[in-house]
Amino acid sequence: MTQAVATRDADAVVPSAPHAHDTNTGVSNNKLAIWMFIASESLFFGAFIATFFLYRGRDALYLKGPTPDELLNIPFTSVTSFVLLMSSLTMVLALAAIQRADHRRFRLWVLATAFFGLTFISAQVYEFTEFYREGLHLSTNLFGTTSYVLTGLHGAHVTVGIVWLLSLFGRSLQGRLGPEHSEAVEIGGLYWHFVDVVWIFIFTAVYLIPQH
Amino acid sequence: MTDTTGIETEEPGTAVAVADDDATGALVPADAAVEVHTDHSNHPSPRQYVLIAIVLVVLTAIEIAISYIDTEHTNLIIIALFAMGAAKFFLVAGWYMHMRLDQPFFRRIFVIGMIGAGIVYGIVILMFSSTVLKA
Repeated sequence: MTQAVATRDADAVVPSAPHAHDTNTGVSNNKLAIWMFIASESLFFGAFIATFFLYRGRDALYLKGPTPDELLNIPFTSVTSFVLLMSSLTMVLALAAIQRADHRRFRLWVLATAFFGLTFISAQVYEFTEFYREGLHLSTNLFGTTSYVLTGLHGAHVTVGIVWLLSLFGRSLQGRLGPEHSEAVEIGGLYWHFVDVVWIFIFTAVYLIPQH
Repeated sequence: MTDTTGIETEEPGTAVAVADDDATGALVPADAAVEVHTDHSNHPSPRQYVLIAIVLVVLTAIEIAISYIDTEHTNLIIIALFAMGAAKFFLVAGWYMHMRLDQPFFRRIFVIGMIGAGIVYGIVILMFSSTVLKA
C-alpha cells in the first residue's frame, strides 16, 4: 500500500488519491463532459424560457386563436409533472441498485424510469393534439410559437433520454453493465435528472404563472 | 479519524489519502485528490431518496394550489412559484444528481453555467421587455 498525504491547499499538487482518474483534472472525463453538456444545455433552455417570458401576454393587442387560459389543462399537466418527478426517483434507485450489483432491481427501476418517460411523452403528444384541434398552431399567435417550441424541445430531450435508458437496459440484459460500469448509469441519470429539473421551470413558466 | 469516503482526516483542513498499489501516481490538484470518492457509501440511502421524492411531490402540490389563488398580487404568486421551483431544483440537483457529495469541480462547472444563463437572460429580458411591450 502506498501512502499519500494530501492537504486542502488548492495550489498544492500531490500524488493521486485512490481511484483518482488518470486525467489532467483528476476527475472522470466522461463525467466532466456530461456536466459541461448540462451547463451548456442550461444556457440553451434559458434562451427559450427567456423568450417565452419576453413574449408572454404580448398577444393581448392582436390576439388570434385560442388564449392560454382556454387551452391549458393544469390538472392534466400536474399529473404528467408528477410522473416525471417520480421518474427521477426510479432513476436514482436504478443507480443505487447497479452500485450494489443488484441487476434485477436495476433493470426494474431503469425500465420504470423509461416507462414514466414514455407516459410523459404520450401525454405531451395528446396535449399538442388537443391544442391543434382547438386551433392553436405553431404560427397562430406568440403563445403558440413560444410554448410549442419550448415544451417540444423538452419533449425531444425526454425522448433521447428514453432511448438512452433503454440502451442501458439492453446492455444490462447482455451482461455488459456491471457495478464497475456504474458511471455509465450515473451519466445517463445526470442527463435524466437535468431533463426533470428543466421541466420544473417550464411547468412553472408555461402552466402555473397566471397568464393575465 | 476516517470519514465515510475512506479518507483519513487528522484535523480540519488536512487529510491523509491511502492509495492502492495499482494507483498510477499521477499528479493532480490537491483538492481534487482529497475529495475523490472511492465508493458510493456516502450517497443517500433508498429511503432518503423516497423521502426527498415525497418532499418534491408536496412542493409541487403547493405550487399547483398557489396557481389557483385568485388575487391581484400576481407578482407575489410569481415569486412564490419560483421560490418553490428553486427549492425543487436544489433538492433534485443536490441529492438526486449528487452535486452535494460529488467532486466540487463538477459543481463549479454547473454553477458557472447556471449563473451565466441567469445573468445573460436576465439582461436580455430587462433590455427587450420595454421595447417589445411597446410594440
